[in-house]
Amino acid sequence: MSNIRNTGDTFDALIKNSEVKKYTYTLSESQKQELNLEDGDFKLMRTVFDNYGSIKVFENDKMGSVGGNDISEEGLKKLIEDSLSAARSATEDPCHDIAPDQGKDVFVQGVQEPDIDRFIERVQEFLKILEKDYPKIKIAGGAAVIDRWNWFSRNSNGTEFEGIGGQYHFSLEFSAGEGDKNSGADFLGFSMKDLDTPIIEMADVKRRLKAVCDRIYPETIDSKFTGTVVLIPDCASQFLYMLAGNYISGGRIIEGTSLWLDKVGEKVVDEKLSVTLDPFDERIVNGERGTQDGFRSETVKVIDKGVLKTHWLDLYAANKTGRPVVKNTGGDMVVDPGDKTLDEIISTIDKGIIMGGFSGGEPGVNGDFSGVAKNSFLIENGKIKCALSETMVNGNLAEMFNNIRAISKEQICDGGSVLPYIAVDGIVISGK
Amino acid sequence: MLQDIIGSKTELFADGVQTVLRGHENRNRNVTILKGNLVNNSRSEGRGISARVNRNGVFGFASIAEYSPEAAEKVIKAATENAMFLSKHSSRSIALPASVCSGSVALNRDIVDVTQKEIIELCRTFDAYVEKNCPELTSRVVSYAEDSQDRVIYSSDAACGHLVTPRAYVYIQMTAESKEGTPVEMFKALGGFGSFYDHFSDPEKYYPEIDELYKWVMDKREGIYPDAGEKTVVLSGMMGGMLAHEAVGHTVEADLVRGGSVAGPCLNKRVASELVNLVDFAHSYNGGLAPLPVYLDDEGTIAEDAVLIKDGILVGYMNDRESAAEYGMKPAGNARGWTFRDEPLIRMRNTTILPGKNTVEELIASVDDGYYLMQSGNGQADLTGEFMFGVICGYEIKNGKLGRALLDTTVSGIAFDMLKSVDMISDEVEWSSSGFCGKKQPMAVGMGGPHIRCKITIGGR
Repeated sequence: MSNIRNTGDTFDALIKNSEVKKYTYTLSESQKQELNLEDGDFKLMRTVFDNYGSIKVFENDKMGSVGGNDISEEGLKKLIEDSLSAARSATEDPCHDIAPDQGKDVFVQGVQEPDIDRFIERVQEFLKILEKDYPKIKIAGGAAVIDRWNWFSRNSNGTEFEGIGGQYHFSLEFSAGEGDKNSGADFLGFSMKDLDTPIIEMADVKRRLKAVCDRIYPETIDSKFTGTVVLIPDCASQFLYMLAGNYISGGRIIEGTSLWLDKVGEKVVDEKLSVTLDPFDERIVNGERGTQDGFRSETVKVIDKGVLKTHWLDLYAANKTGRPVVKNTGGDMVVDPGDKTLDEIISTIDKGIIMGGFSGGEPGVNGDFSGVAKNSFLIENGKIKCALSETMVNGNLAEMFNNIRAISKEQICDGGSVLPYIAVDGIVISGK
Repeated sequence: MLQDIIGSKTELFADGVQTVLRGHENRNRNVTILKGNLVNNSRSEGRGISARVNRNGVFGFASIAEYSPEAAEKVIKAATENAMFLSKHSSRSIALPASVCSGSVALNRDIVDVTQKEIIELCRTFDAYVEKNCPELTSRVVSYAEDSQDRVIYSSDAACGHLVTPRAYVYIQMTAESKEGTPVEMFKALGGFGSFYDHFSDPEKYYPEIDELYKWVMDKREGIYPDAGEKTVVLSGMMGGMLAHEAVGHTVEADLVRGGSVAGPCLNKRVASELVNLVDFAHSYNGGLAPLPVYLDDEGTIAEDAVLIKDGILVGYMNDRESAAEYGMKPAGNARGWTFRDEPLIRMRNTTILPGKNTVEELIASVDDGYYLMQSGNGQADLTGEFMFGVICGYEIKNGKLGRALLDTTVSGIAFDMLKSVDMISDEVEWSSSGFCGKKQPMAVGMGGPHIRCKITIGGR
């Protein structure tokens, strides 16, 4: 990759010669090498040479934003012209703004010199284990990806950030089958800083492979009951992001439709739950270093022992509502562990399910949700009884996180988040 | 629009392999007004070139964010090298599929650009109408989203062509409070295939649809939760379309059949009632354009309709060239990539159940105790055909008449079981191209269908 900083210098010179006075821009170059899997073997190798430039321009409290992947000098000139034109078309709104001067910094993270041969060996080693130890597994698709990137951003307040990074990423879409019977699909994916650990030992891969093999012959529940749901970490993440979207996101706070509009500083969920956005956690691969508004990213405690510490507001939403800005775009979620193992938690449950995924409609703004419990197992009298199909779950986001039975000691890290298993009571579970 | 500057590079295609070279541009125009505030005012363009090389079932793909003859040379070379490299690490060895078409497909239309100023004015017009005429709302969002694909395709042993696929939509979202003080929400998409001026020169023509949306939201304020369990329902065209896409369409994509989908063992078997015929239309329907016309896919296959279910019997899959050869079927042009970065995958185009003989009124009048499910929030299905749709707009049916509105709920089932319960189909088709389908890459798709009466499991509270 060439030096994107030089392109930034060209962009600066062009901006100086234009009518643009207030701006923020980001330029990036990236390269992706991807090995696609199908039916247990490599099928396609994909290389993507990419670049992108985006600029946000402000004039008389009006904002316009444009982007494009032509970052030649002509392309950059067009970005400036189009962004100025877009800004002049907008209506005045002084809440659009950019972060004050954050200084200059270069962030070097993740994989700098990837080893594709070693990655191929790791994948082939994994495929052999699948063939030998998990013969019922069918691979619908998958990819071993090496990403590298170099981004550069500046704004008219003086901030200058550069990021140089890379990562290995592995994903797999898989099911298990016997004859005409199939378990249904499961999906796993995670990012890595190195290749020291075999894929089979990463995240919760072993447990997920075993679970899908145990789901070839599911049963249906013929009743409806209120019980406990153990959310596996991926599923817990899904619900926590729905919780954030419904109750603390900028859109909801601007609209005034959030039920937690005035709840900062108050207990909103069970005290066992603590949620942090922590881009500096050593388990996170390539945590965020600069926000989309141009702030240095910070660790943000969102919920601390059940107490809401902040809404999730970018600079525009913060200015619009007169509330504090959150210097974190919203990834890198870390949930504190509990004091029981997953097995200990299951042993305390009279009736409930382990839920591997939730396939449901977007919750209503009141937090009500309803959907299918995917990749799930019935728990009765403290033991896992059978795999389930056609099982529905209904509840309310705020209520469910107010009824946390337990959080596991185990945390699963996929490179972008660190989450435990979370067991919640009071969910309506029904069969056909 | 793209100029054809890459055709001369076909001379670099290697012998003994199948190569496709694609110039590709995606454009986006977006504006969002939230409760009167302009919160998004953006436009973007991404263009580049890709090449894909098939060497005995091992594929090399390369793309570069540059549209020039030199870039075409680079991607052909890189894709060829990728196929060679991967051959050393893969045991796949599959004969190259035979050529099924050739020639050139003519440019289907043009893309007409629009300024941000015009888009903002349009959104302001809609926002002002909603603010004035929908006084009971607690919040409103008006969004404009336009995207387009512009593709120049050359293949070594199939067809070539230059095709564009623009679509322009305005989304109106309304939020109100129920009598208990909890928020209820609903949205509607206005617009379709084509550019800004094809749809929005006269915004007033959409006012009746906005009025209708407001009525639905007001009704939903007084809404009830449905009784949970298996019920007789009438699914609207868009709900039926979601079913056709999510619950059936994905299971009959040949790559997912290969991955273990329920459709694998069901070929040439009954999977639905004899009333059900399911087709993935390429570009035309009933003498007009399908909602998202596809004339040529990204392998150079000239697009044709793919018949999937005929009189309730599963008769075909959607294929790319390789899977079509594997299953002894003819490729129909389903291999599509979303941007220049993306390799073609098997994707749907305009998947719908064919209309029947009854009117919508007859379907509703035939239900003593059930539900009319009109609008879906989203939907998903898996390889087993187990599906879920969120339902954001619906009414109860009592003694053949519509009753109270429903609060948000979900329906679920097993696709082929549910299709066997279809016993009435209406005589018209309603559909839209506003949706995105997610399968590694996003993809614009057309979706819709007739009203159908069937049994389905509905979530309660």
